Amino acid sequence: MKRFSQLAWPYIVWAALMLVLPMALIAAYSFMEQGNSIISFSFTLEHYAKFFTDQDFLLILWRSLVIAVKTTIICFFLGYPAAYFIARSKEKTQNILILCVTIPMWINMLVRTYAWIGLLSEGGLIQQILSIFGLGDQELLYTEGAVLLGMVYNFLPFMILQIQTSLSKMDHSLVEASADLGANPVQTFRRVTFPLSLPGVINGITLVFLPAVSSFFIPKLLGGGQYFLIGNMIENQFITVGEWNFGSAISMIMAVIMMLLMMAVRKIEIRNQGGKEE
Amino acid sequence: MEEKKLIEFRNIVKSFDGQIVLKGINLDIYENEFVTLLGPSGCGKTTLLRILGGFLDADEGSVIFDGEEISKKPPYERELNTVFQKYALFPHLSVYENIAFGLKIKKMSKDVIDQKVMKMLRLIGLEGFEDKNTTLLSGGQQQRVAIARALVNEPKVLLLDEPLAALDLKLRKEMQYELKRIQQEVGITFIFVTHDQEEALTMSDKIVVMNHGEIQQVGSPQDIYNEPVNRFVANFIGESNILPGVMLEDYKVRFDDITFDCVDFGFKENEPVDVVIRPEDIDIVDVKDGKMTGEVLSVLFKGVHYEIIVETVPGTSVTVNMRVIKNQDVTSEDGKEKISANNFYVDIDDVEDLDDKEVIARANAQAWDPESDEYISIAKIEYEVAKEEGQYPVVFATSNGTKVERTIFVVDQPFVKNEKANEGIMAFNFVKTVDEITESQALDTDLKTWANAQGWKLSDEEQSVDISVDYEFDPEKVTEGVYPITFWTTGREFKIHTTDYSEEGQEVGLTFFPEDIHVMSRTGY
Repeated sequence: MKRFSQLAWPYIVWAALMLVLPMALIAAYSFMEQGNSIISFSFTLEHYAKFFTDQDFLLILWRSLVIAVKTTIICFFLGYPAAYFIARSKEKTQNILILCVTIPMWINMLVRTYAWIGLLSEGGLIQQILSIFGLGDQELLYTEGAVLLGMVYNFLPFMILQIQTSLSKMDHSLVEASADLGANPVQTFRRVTFPLSLPGVINGITLVFLPAVSSFFIPKLLGGGQYFLIGNMIENQFITVGEWNFGSAISMIMAVIMMLLMMAVRKIEIRNQGGKEE
Repeated sequence: MEEKKLIEFRNIVKSFDGQIVLKGINLDIYENEFVTLLGPSGCGKTTLLRILGGFLDADEGSVIFDGEEISKKPPYERELNTVFQKYALFPHLSVYENIAFGLKIKKMSKDVIDQKVMKMLRLIGLEGFEDKNTTLLSGGQQQRVAIARALVNEPKVLLLDEPLAALDLKLRKEMQYELKRIQQEVGITFIFVTHDQEEALTMSDKIVVMNHGEIQQVGSPQDIYNEPVNRFVANFIGESNILPGVMLEDYKVRFDDITFDCVDFGFKENEPVDVVIRPEDIDIVDVKDGKMTGEVLSVLFKGVHYEIIVETVPGTSVTVNMRVIKNQDVTSEDGKEKISANNFYVDIDDVEDLDDKEVIARANAQAWDPESDEYISIAKIEYEVAKEEGQYPVVFATSNGTKVERTIFVVDQPFVKNEKANEGIMAFNFVKTVDEITESQALDTDLKTWANAQGWKLSDEEQSVDISVDYEFDPEKVTEGVYPITFWTTGREFKIHTTDYSEEGQEVGLTFFPEDIHVMSRTGY
């Protein structure tokens, strides 16, 4: 491995310039008084205090977490059966199905989300279909449902691909061994297949939850002005209000929350490893 | 001991993608037996095991387990457990949880599970390993856990699918004893699949030898080893000398022109048979005391014994001359074509078989364009040969008239007859150019073709005999001249395992007892 360590250098340089440095700047900004620059640094906690003392801000944070959790749960329950079905198909079918899952990702996410506006808007296709069943007066666009739909639609492939990969990698003889030991198909799934697919599930959850909690253009486009999430708030602080320091503080709070959540999720994975490692 | 039938396979047929893997297997397996399914890879042994385990459905036939037809039952309803080839331990569970898996499915109480798992850990000698992660165990330890995980369910039958294949030699030997001990201790039927004949002989009460989806022989290791029913079994189980013979009458068999007493009977008079003599059953003695005599060809030290090859009947050989000439192609007047061909010899009996094609091939006649190196077809051949010894001219020409004249030698070639070995061989002198020899890709084969070397059984001319070739020139640096080429066959060789040393080249006698001769019918192979 050591021989190849040289190859990591380009990435290390890139990461330092593009990831670590900006992160450090955001962290610094969040502890800085308004209007300060790096040269004349004066420490303050006022931005954090502002966030935690304002009911509205906390509500937005809570709402963002709730919708991200909802998105993740829906993606999991839609994605797992799909992934299971794909992983159990013949190799040729598998390739075609994976292609079907990934094809939408070839088109820009923003474009696809705009398409949903057309579909959901008043007099749009979906409302017309619903009106056949007498449900035509339902408001669709600019609701929580629309935002949720947009997120599930955009992030579902990540869940499916992660779970499908871990299921395909699984040795089929384990399923046979389980049946051999008297487990019926349901028991085999519960005791063998599902636990072994957990790494994929956790990766899937991570890849869905993280973009969902910080997404800003989906709530902006499909939620209109009504449905304001933390991502929109950060965007607002930087672009409209111009309060970079406050925006940085919100970003830092989000980063810490996500880190804690991910650490909790990893814990489940480690607990699932079976037996002590020497 | 009264034996009870536990498993009956009834006419099991199975094919994959139109390829028949099992051709109607009928087999009974009894209680408390250590049964081995033995055969080369692809013989269907694993398929049969998987059908019994419920992982494959047979196309035809039925499996009866303890008096009950189970062909339609899923694996989790069958009272048997499997040790898989690569163990298939659950990587997310500890050693304890792996072993307890089947018991938890049966919803046994925690203290009963505890007791049973601990007992199993003692049986396999892995006490104190219960909390270990299975992926960190050695191959042998994983193997033991897999056995314990299956046995803890107290199945009536344990199926083992080449469970020792992944272990190294020393560990494999250890596990062989271990498995046998465990089987005797728990007293259930083990069905063991392997391609390793030594493993099968060491461990089994009963061996089922399979080949091409059919059972060849069922019997105890002693039966299978000492009385193989056919050539395949004799070859597959242990090393053996297999030779053709004739059963003159009961207790009398004749091979290599000598009549021997034997203990076999029940064959037709003068029935052709195969005779097996195990290498360790033959003793080397003085020439005067031997039932057969021969020359020691090679002595190999094998640790416990010497492996000695004795040739009792010499092989046959014939030496011919190869005349190597310089390249002698003819160029057309305009220089646009080249043509070449060789003189060749033909037996007087083969003259009538000669046609244009054969003459071109034997003379190796060819024409080509020297610039592009492309071949030009030989459009015209003129020759006239009679069934009489002599020299006959032959002319090869292209459509443009470029031609070359050569000679066909018709000879009455005597063949070499070896009555004792029941074979004859023959070969012809031949002429080749330097280039043809240096450019040959497979010289041995080419030499045989050029000399038209052939060997056959005297008793049956249709049956050919393998011929080897010897020569002393260096094919890379051959020059013009005459070289002797020898074509030869191996004689009758016996492989002998003995602890006594013999010198190579020594004349010795071979002796064996009548009961060491095993006569096998040729039918059924």
